[in-house]
Amino acid sequence: MTPLLSVDGLTLKTGDKTLVSDLSFSLGAGERMGLIGESGSGKSLTAMAVTGLLPKSIVPAGSILLDGQQVVGTLERTLNGLRGSSVAVVFQEPLTALDPLMKIGTQVAGPLGRRLAREGKSPPRREVDREVLQFLDHVALPQPERIANSYPHEISGGQRQRVAIAMALACKPKLLIADEPTTALDVTTQAEILKLLDSLVRELGMALLFISHDLPVVATVVDRVTVLRNGRAVEEGPVKAVFDQPRHDYTKTLVEAARSFDNALEGTA
Amino acid sequence: MSAADELTPAVVTAARKPRWSPTFTIGLILVGIHVAIALLTLFWTPYDPTSTTGGRLEPPSFIHWAGTDRLGRDFFTQIMIGSRIALIVGAGAVAIGAAIGVTIGLLAAFATRFLDDALAATLDILIAFPTLLLAMLVVAASEGASLWSAILALGIAMSAIVARLTRILAKRVLQNDYITASRTSGTSWPGVVVRHVLPNIWPTLSVNFALQFGIAVIAESSLSYLGLGAPPPNASWGRLLQEAQGTVYTAPIGAIAPGIALVTLVIGINLLADGLRDIGDPTRRISR
Ligand SMILES: Nc1ncnc2c1ncn2[C@@H]1O[C@H](COP(=O)(O)OP(=O)(O)OP(=O)(O)O)[C@@H](O)[C@H]1O
Ligand SMILES: [Mg+2]
Repeated sequence: MTPLLSVDGLTLKTGDKTLVSDLSFSLGAGERMGLIGESGSGKSLTAMAVTGLLPKSIVPAGSILLDGQQVVGTLERTLNGLRGSSVAVVFQEPLTALDPLMKIGTQVAGPLGRRLAREGKSPPRREVDREVLQFLDHVALPQPERIANSYPHEISGGQRQRVAIAMALACKPKLLIADEPTTALDVTTQAEILKLLDSLVRELGMALLFISHDLPVVATVVDRVTVLRNGRAVEEGPVKAVFDQPRHDYTKTLVEAARSFDNALEGTA
Repeated sequence: MSAADELTPAVVTAARKPRWSPTFTIGLILVGIHVAIALLTLFWTPYDPTSTTGGRLEPPSFIHWAGTDRLGRDFFTQIMIGSRIALIVGAGAVAIGAAIGVTIGLLAAFATRFLDDALAATLDILIAFPTLLLAMLVVAASEGASLWSAILALGIAMSAIVARLTRILAKRVLQNDYITASRTSGTSWPGVVVRHVLPNIWPTLSVNFALQFGIAVIAESSLSYLGLGAPPPNASWGRLLQEAQGTVYTAPIGAIAPGIALVTLVIGINLLADGLRDIGDPTRRISR
């Protein structure tokens, strides 16, 4: 069976600077993989390359097969058909990922309406609104009616991220890319959002590409990881193996950093 | 605002009622008066605007509220008709300027680098091009000077300014994360324009439209003066003002009345636009 996503020899360049080089990985339907690496290692760019939304100045080479469709060098119109149905993304910054002038309900209704249209349904407005509330409820937002009627600046950061997740889920994509979805949140909220993502992805049977610089965070939601450094994959394997016996020096420092942080926490507790 | 209101979270009150600022109310009243007068002149005016109904340059009285003009015609009637002309000129020019300007501005914002640079340069040249010269060209190209040739000329001149503003505003909006986020869920480019770009540039654009409305009303009077605007008997305020130049000491009402009319309309439109922007922008609504 062909995997849902297979990235093969992906190289991203801007001018003569190489940002990602020769990256390969694949992800089957329903699988969960983590992409970890420090800031600036090319994680977000890889995610954007998969959706075909790289900035114009960045040129991709190699191959990205998503849901049987080549993404690199493909026409915009074809790619737009993939977005939402094959892939959806939850971004790092929950504040800026929502349109400040649009009510939450209307924002969620957008991708939801497109999915319903894709499925050949054109339910009346009231029906769509009801489903919007269901999705908001699904991501454990309190008082969905009130939230649906609010603007982004009227709700908290954690609530915004839940909204962003609801929007991605409303697409019912085959692959969900979560690009550091919890980095901007406090630790408690972080844990809640992770748990939510984990259970929803499982429930809906989506594949998950989870991007983070935080090894312990990744370890809680994925089965496999790829470690990225300066645009190169330095290590790949099951979470446990990478965690317990890191082969690459860079991964070792990541693991040690995480351990010492944990130890420090236990020490003070 | 009562004490109980203050205890309610901002979210709840804001969601319930968009604020009507006093600014907006005053703007609405001023513009409303002019619109009402303009509509009224379609059916009724105190006197026939073209016939002599009194002596020359009479001062204001109960019979002629704003006195009479050089030919003994009722001046108040002419001011009233001026409202209609001003509204037609302002609205017409803004409509043309907005339609052409926003379209070109959006195209430039989405265009390739090369086309965008070419459009931006063209717009800069157009903006530097005197409106007067443009108006003369339009008059020459059409059957002759009329209210419509003036409106067309003003609208075209305005479109360059609107296009440049739209281009800059749209480019800024397009850089936002929520555009990328929306695109990843499959929003097409036209969808992005309708859902995100237009609503987000509208608050700034609308204020500019109000400004341009006032400028168009004033510019039309200059055109009339040079014979490039509405010919008599449908004189605009600007023409009345200029006709009053020679008699401003003997009959000051000739300058005061159209002046007040012009100022109240232009201020009214601007206050209205400010108010509309506040209502259209939820972040402003809260921060008050
Ligand atoms: N539009 C762009 N043009 C040129 N270079 C870019 C552009 N966007 C990102 N880069 C560069 O590409 C590299 C990888 O960026 P990327 O955003 O993928 O990092 P990241 O791994 O997601 O980091 P973080 O954890 O901070 O989000 C960085 O060195 C960055 O400077
Ligand atoms: Mg990133």
